[in-house]
Amino acid sequence: MVMGATGSKLEKALGEQFPEGERYFGLENFGNTCYCNSVLQVLYFCIPFREQLLDYYENNKNVGDAEENLLTCLADLFSQISSQKKKTGVISPRRFVQRVKKQNELFRSYMHQDAHEFLNFLLNELVDILERETNAANASPEASSSSSSSSSSSSEKVANGPSNPPVNGVRKDPFVTWVHDSFQGILTNETRCLRCETVTARDETFFDLSLDIEQNSSITSCLKNFSSTETLNAEDKFFCDKCCSLQEAQKRMKIKKPPSILVIHLKRFKYIEHLGRNKKLSYRVVFPMELKLMNTVEDPDTEYSLFAVVVHIGTGPNHGHYVSLVKSHNHWLYFDDETVEMIDESTMHKYFGSSQEYSSNTEHGYILFYESLGRSS
Amino acid sequence: MGAPFYGQRLANVAVTEARQSASGKLEAAMHRVASAGNTSNSTRPRKEKRLTYVLNDADDTKHCGGINCLAILNSATPNGCDNLFTGSRDGTLKRWALSDNDATCSATFESHVDWVNDAVLAGNNLVSCSSDTTLKIWNPLSDAVCSRTLRQHSDYVTCLAAAEKNSNIVASGGLGAEVFIWDIDAALLPLAKTVDPKEEELPNGNLGLPLSSLRGMNTGNNMSFHNNQSRGYSPIVAKGHKESVYALAMNDSGTLLVSGGTEKVIRVWDPRTGSKNLKLRGHADNIRALLLDSTGRFCLSGSSDSMIRLWDLGQQRCVHSYAVHTDSVWALASNSTFTHVYSGGRDLSLYLTDLSTRESLLLYTKEHPILQMALQDDSIWVATTDSSVHRLPAEGCNPQKVFERGGSFLAGNLSFTRARASLEGSAPVPVYKEPSFTIPGIPGIVQYEILNNRRHVLTKDTSGSVKLWEITRGVVIEDYGKVSFDEKKEELFEMVSIPAWFAMDTRLGSLSIHMDTPQCFSAEMYAVDLNITGAPEDLKINLAQETLRGLLVHWAAKRRQRSGSQASSNGNVASSNDVTRNLPHSKIEMDDGAENNTFVVLPSFEFATDSPPSIVTEGSHGGPWRKKITDLDGTEDEKDLPWWCMDCVLNGRLPPRENTKCSFHLQACEGSSVQILTQGKLSAPRILRINKVINYVIEKMVLDKPLDGGSSDGASGLGSSTGQSQLSTLGDVSLRPGMKPWQKMKPSIEILCNNQVLSPEMSLATVRTYIWKKPEDLVLNYRLLSSLLRLSHIVKRGMLGWSGGSCCWMRDTDSSMRLWVCGRADIAAAL
Repeated sequence: MVMGATGSKLEKALGEQFPEGERYFGLENFGNTCYCNSVLQVLYFCIPFREQLLDYYENNKNVGDAEENLLTCLADLFSQISSQKKKTGVISPRRFVQRVKKQNELFRSYMHQDAHEFLNFLLNELVDILERETNAANASPEASSSSSSSSSSSSEKVANGPSNPPVNGVRKDPFVTWVHDSFQGILTNETRCLRCETVTARDETFFDLSLDIEQNSSITSCLKNFSSTETLNAEDKFFCDKCCSLQEAQKRMKIKKPPSILVIHLKRFKYIEHLGRNKKLSYRVVFPMELKLMNTVEDPDTEYSLFAVVVHIGTGPNHGHYVSLVKSHNHWLYFDDETVEMIDESTMHKYFGSSQEYSSNTEHGYILFYESLGRSS
Repeated sequence: MGAPFYGQRLANVAVTEARQSASGKLEAAMHRVASAGNTSNSTRPRKEKRLTYVLNDADDTKHCGGINCLAILNSATPNGCDNLFTGSRDGTLKRWALSDNDATCSATFESHVDWVNDAVLAGNNLVSCSSDTTLKIWNPLSDAVCSRTLRQHSDYVTCLAAAEKNSNIVASGGLGAEVFIWDIDAALLPLAKTVDPKEEELPNGNLGLPLSSLRGMNTGNNMSFHNNQSRGYSPIVAKGHKESVYALAMNDSGTLLVSGGTEKVIRVWDPRTGSKNLKLRGHADNIRALLLDSTGRFCLSGSSDSMIRLWDLGQQRCVHSYAVHTDSVWALASNSTFTHVYSGGRDLSLYLTDLSTRESLLLYTKEHPILQMALQDDSIWVATTDSSVHRLPAEGCNPQKVFERGGSFLAGNLSFTRARASLEGSAPVPVYKEPSFTIPGIPGIVQYEILNNRRHVLTKDTSGSVKLWEITRGVVIEDYGKVSFDEKKEELFEMVSIPAWFAMDTRLGSLSIHMDTPQCFSAEMYAVDLNITGAPEDLKINLAQETLRGLLVHWAAKRRQRSGSQASSNGNVASSNDVTRNLPHSKIEMDDGAENNTFVVLPSFEFATDSPPSIVTEGSHGGPWRKKITDLDGTEDEKDLPWWCMDCVLNGRLPPRENTKCSFHLQACEGSSVQILTQGKLSAPRILRINKVINYVIEKMVLDKPLDGGSSDGASGLGSSTGQSQLSTLGDVSLRPGMKPWQKMKPSIEILCNNQVLSPEMSLATVRTYIWKKPEDLVLNYRLLSSLLRLSHIVKRGMLGWSGGSCCWMRDTDSSMRLWVCGRADIAAAL
């Protein structure tokens, strides 16, 4: 299975600097499975996630007749990579890919798939499995009360009611797994009635932020737009429970709990009304190596560092190719299915997008992975 | 053989009755669904007008919603009494005759159909504005008749401003960045050609003005004509706002207008031209209150950023900012010399601030946010989100006197200073613990739940009282007191499914029930369930129709009177025909006699006349209006009332409805050998009870097996189709002449759905909603009730006679005749 040629080239390039214990393996493509490979590489180099998954593998590998699922397949794959004798090479994620196709018919065809959709599916699936296992393990009454929905849970409360003080401990803690520990953040959706000025806050959990993008913008400005105030008015008034009537209201999204790994999805595939189909937006959107989150409720200075990018290559939404850029031990690596190459950080700007609509450069950053600098674990 | 023959004759009688019944009553109730889609009435040309009725409280002298505005009319004579006008979220204004320690409600101004947001006195007129997008002009001291409705705004009208010394001028501001300046006298001028049919009550002859000519008059006007409004007069437009306006103020002479809103800037206008003068920046949030001094040099503003600012319009800058409140400032009032300002807001507090020394004093704090204040001599009236109005002492001429009591603090410059001070626990003690006088209101309804029977509504009001209403009579049928709303809701849960025939809201603090055609006609009930004596068993009552009758009974009676007197005096008999002819619906046939039908209002739909509900509808020329049902004078016609309500009440015609039927399949239970022939889908009224289905099955069993021995070809059916021994019983029927056997029968067939035995009392709709729970057609199963028991029962008794091979007559131990249906083999076995 191991193809020496590319591996040795990378090894040569790294030379002495090849990090100890690290493995850089390409992943075989089974026909349009680059969406899967690019995401798998990023997750593998998402260190807290990898460590948790390998722990899980260690703890569960002896459970003989355990049923195969996406989690066990992924754990197998990660352990396979990490336990390779060689430092570089190519591995076939066949079992994992088969499992994905079995689980979700969306990914069954040979059509071009969306990497973001796949990431979302995968994380939610892992959470579901972990939850089921925990529930099965401790079938005690307290465990059964945990919430069953993993993708999002929400609670509503009035934030500035004049006479009612904030209620403590009303919100039931949703089920938290190590997947949540890594990726989950909490958004709060604040709506203020302009008549009685009561603020209704609704919390939503998220695994990634999907941002609308504009030409020649930056992640910071896209995040700003994401949190900008929207007025509900005219035919679209807000029904205020306090006023018992429709009133104008202002609405905005804030990040209440920043996740330790912030996944930003750029909405590059947009439905264009007059074309009647999706179009890929090749806009230039600068993503910084270091990101400061401004639109947060508390913790105004949450700093993040970029460690991986899933790049979409191509002009349209229904075809193209996915590769990933991963920062490992201060080196940037370029993972293109079977191939792994080293690239220089200074070339990252190539993946920002293009200022002109038709450009020969079609490699665009699509999903960005930032890790929080505040929390090291 | 005498006995068998006798039996045969009886059986024949029974069959004939069954056949009659099946072809008549039952088939009317249940018929097969036509295979093709029957959607002919799905093309309605436009959305029809809605009819709303508001259930008023028995006490007409109290508001039931928060008070948004206050206006004081000082007495013209030295010894006369002052009048206070209050405009409420309950949609009405009230006039209070004030004496030293009393306030008597002397009039209720009812015509707005949504919150009254502001009211000003302009000369001899009271002008009010509302979330219903209109302004209304009233004669303040009259018997509360609206003299004109001004329709120019396209969204809520939030605020008004009047010029003290130029009583003609009123400015109105609203959502959607609309500001208009009105010349009230001009707006009130009677117009030669266009009339307002409702408010001016002109003779009917003018109503025939074609709409096209109205539109023609409007073409020179570049305002929107969204409401067909046509006046010779149109207001001056203050153009240039970008966002919603929440506050306005005008100087005494009407030469200066200031406006504020979500743009956070104060705009200064010349109201005579509508042109912009300048823009003042400084507030960080919505501007909710504005004041101008009489000269128009100084402006005070209150904002959601919790600040009060004093602006020098001459210098075009903010000269003072006062951090007095800890939350949004919603109301401002100043003394006549503009040296002191009273302010109130979201922090429930009323402050008095000396504008020059910046000294501030907490006068009063209570549990409701303050919405507006009005000064009257040495008092200040305070309006809050509560339905009562409070009066506090105020040194109108010499406000400085209050400061002598001490307890004042110095207003800060920055918005957070007060918030911080209050956090640190240095909250000032209010000068007044209690108001000197209170005009009480009644608690408004803030929460509701429509119960499953769609006639009862559970409500909770601001005082926490939970009540049960019967909305078809507009009465509270149970007052539970202060109990848990949710628990009561659960307690009252009933497993019944009635279509949602009305919508409702509580924005007026009372229940508003909205009816739209044709959905409102989708709910039916059996008359017997309403305890209507003498009603035939199958008589169905349409809830909306009966409700409309109850609402419009006074109107119809007066209308009859009027048309009667008109016919004799004017010879104007054609009016009723005109109504029908003008109805937009093509299905209406001319029926001259129909209107003369008097109708009886069923007791369950009789609204009280001592606290009658009000009707709210869109009207056409005069805009939306609201009137008590007892105040309708019979002149209201299709221009005022929705035509479909009139058609329903006067002619008893209901629009074609979808949805009153429920389709279902009737199948034998698995393993049951009883089979009846039903081809395909059945259809029946949604309210049909399961016991009717039981009857249907039984009848079918009888009919499918002709009892008469001659037609033995049909007789093979039941026995052979089952192919095994099975005794079918029809139950304990006492056969008396003229008595249909199933009428007195205990069910011997049971109907199941999703393997659950259904109570005979359940309706098809209920089964569908609570047991079937699927979008597909309902499937009901039938089976014999404990057939084995019946078999043994028969064996103990002797067979009296039998006929045709599938039915037999038996004389029971009590000598009554009983009919049994069975297969031939069964009887043999049984014997």
